[in-house]
Amino acid sequence: MAEKIPSISKINELFQNKEMKPSELFEQVYETASYTESVLHAHLELFYDEGLKLSKESDKRYKKNESLGLLDGIPIAIKDNINIYGYKTTCSSKMLSNYVSPYDATVVTSLKKAGTIFTGKTNLDEFAMGSSTENSAYGPTKNPWNPDFVPGGSSGGSAAVVSAGSAVASLGSDTGGSIRQPASFCGVVGFKPTYGTVSRYGLIAFASSLDQIGPITNTVDDTRIIFNEIQGYDSKDATSITPVYTKLENKKIKVGILKELMQEGVSNESQNEVNKVVNQLREKGHDVTEISLPLTEMALSVYYLIAPAECSANLSRFDGVRYGIREDASTSYEMMNKTRSVGFGEEVKKRILLGTYALSAGYFDEYYGRALKVRSKIITDFKTAFDKVDFILSPTTPTPAFGFGEKTKNPLEMYLSDLCTIPANLAGLPAISIPTGLSENNLPLSVQIMGKPCSDYSLIDFAESIEEMVEFNSSPNLLKENSES
Amino acid sequence: MSENFNIDDISNLASIELSEEEKAKLQKDLQIILEHVDALKNIDVKDEKIDIHPLSKVLELRKDESKESLKHEDAMMNSPETKDGHFVVPPSIE
Repeated sequence: MAEKIPSISKINELFQNKEMKPSELFEQVYETASYTESVLHAHLELFYDEGLKLSKESDKRYKKNESLGLLDGIPIAIKDNINIYGYKTTCSSKMLSNYVSPYDATVVTSLKKAGTIFTGKTNLDEFAMGSSTENSAYGPTKNPWNPDFVPGGSSGGSAAVVSAGSAVASLGSDTGGSIRQPASFCGVVGFKPTYGTVSRYGLIAFASSLDQIGPITNTVDDTRIIFNEIQGYDSKDATSITPVYTKLENKKIKVGILKELMQEGVSNESQNEVNKVVNQLREKGHDVTEISLPLTEMALSVYYLIAPAECSANLSRFDGVRYGIREDASTSYEMMNKTRSVGFGEEVKKRILLGTYALSAGYFDEYYGRALKVRSKIITDFKTAFDKVDFILSPTTPTPAFGFGEKTKNPLEMYLSDLCTIPANLAGLPAISIPTGLSENNLPLSVQIMGKPCSDYSLIDFAESIEEMVEFNSSPNLLKENSES
Repeated sequence: MSENFNIDDISNLASIELSEEEKAKLQKDLQIILEHVDALKNIDVKDEKIDIHPLSKVLELRKDESKESLKHEDAMMNSPETKDGHFVVPPSIE
């Protein structure tokens, strides 16, 4: 029988008090996976034998009162674009179908040291390019709330496993909303930390100036615990920073509502969730005002030049020589062309071509150069806004989860589902999505909170106060049906 | 800006062979995206600087120190073809 998984702090208490063993919890999430996976296809690979072995080692540590901390024995799923030594990292691409990681990502090293147990690798849109997991070469993931709907993307598998209870938490990566949007669609918490606070070493790069690893969890406190473990400077990542986190002294918080994300293009249902939270914040005595950042409307255009440009450079490494598949041909040039033709799916090819064009001679200044300059203006606008407010509140997504095939005909329709999340990536800001209610169709709705760079912990604290305020306690039908059986 | 987009030239630059069917679909999709991003033309970016790192961090090089790193055989283990510790590829000169 499936039960809603308690928070990490609560689980740790159960472990410490010898009321539950890590191996028992591991068996529980694995049992959940055994019936949810046939419907959801959220994990690409499950690590049962290794997980059980490591969870029994964790049992022994708790028995001797020598636990490694809050994450010791906690089953966590890892998005399949993050390297775990000795296991496949496919990026949900045919290109890397045979690639076995020869090293651990820094975040994986950190979680291993903390005694975390990995449940397996989760499905994603190929090379993290997409918003629905429909671009996975291994088939889409379904939404635990209703399998006729997408779980979001690109970290759709990572969001679905947490929502379904086949992992306590997961790691995703967020380039334009790929943690927050699927977390929102699946009714869980998704956090994109400040750019540079979590090492990208071992994350297979999509767009290096935008990519950020972060947690997907059931509660905001779980997010705090995992972020605390994976954050910090890493010399292996040239963009890594030594974060000096800001603290909020005032109990009365100034919140800005971003006008450009509360207008046409964003559904009434999504706007209503923000209004609901605003009313509650005002009742608590917080200062809520509307703010306007007109260039936010250009964020999508900026993103769809910068991200493809960086992706075309990053994915040039997949040439059939050092890793991945290779197509036979009589010359190296022909081999590379054929390998990339067979190995990449349509969306990846589209973005590589777009990026190649934006970087090509004669067009660089007009496209990539111009996009970088507008990005700088957006960063400046956010800096100015954060002189007036502590946090910015908006919907996480313009709509709740959409149906399979609904947005695959026109690329812009799919790209617009990241309308509210892209600005935080462009400006490097920390941003969190927390579930707040359900739509008419019984699908989760969320709000997003953005903070200034390195306000991660105070942003998490504020998100936790909203989480307590809205009391979202619903769980997906899949979980309920199996609990009742 | 986008009328000069030639799918054959770009796929050649990107080293991706495309079928005629793919070319037609991608050309159409890319045209839609390029028309959308054309909106950036209307933004005044004169004298604007460029931020490569969103937090304006100056990228540093690591110290030139010898450290343990990926073993040679581990770096080669995923290659489709190797010989005597080297990657093997088809001829580069036609």
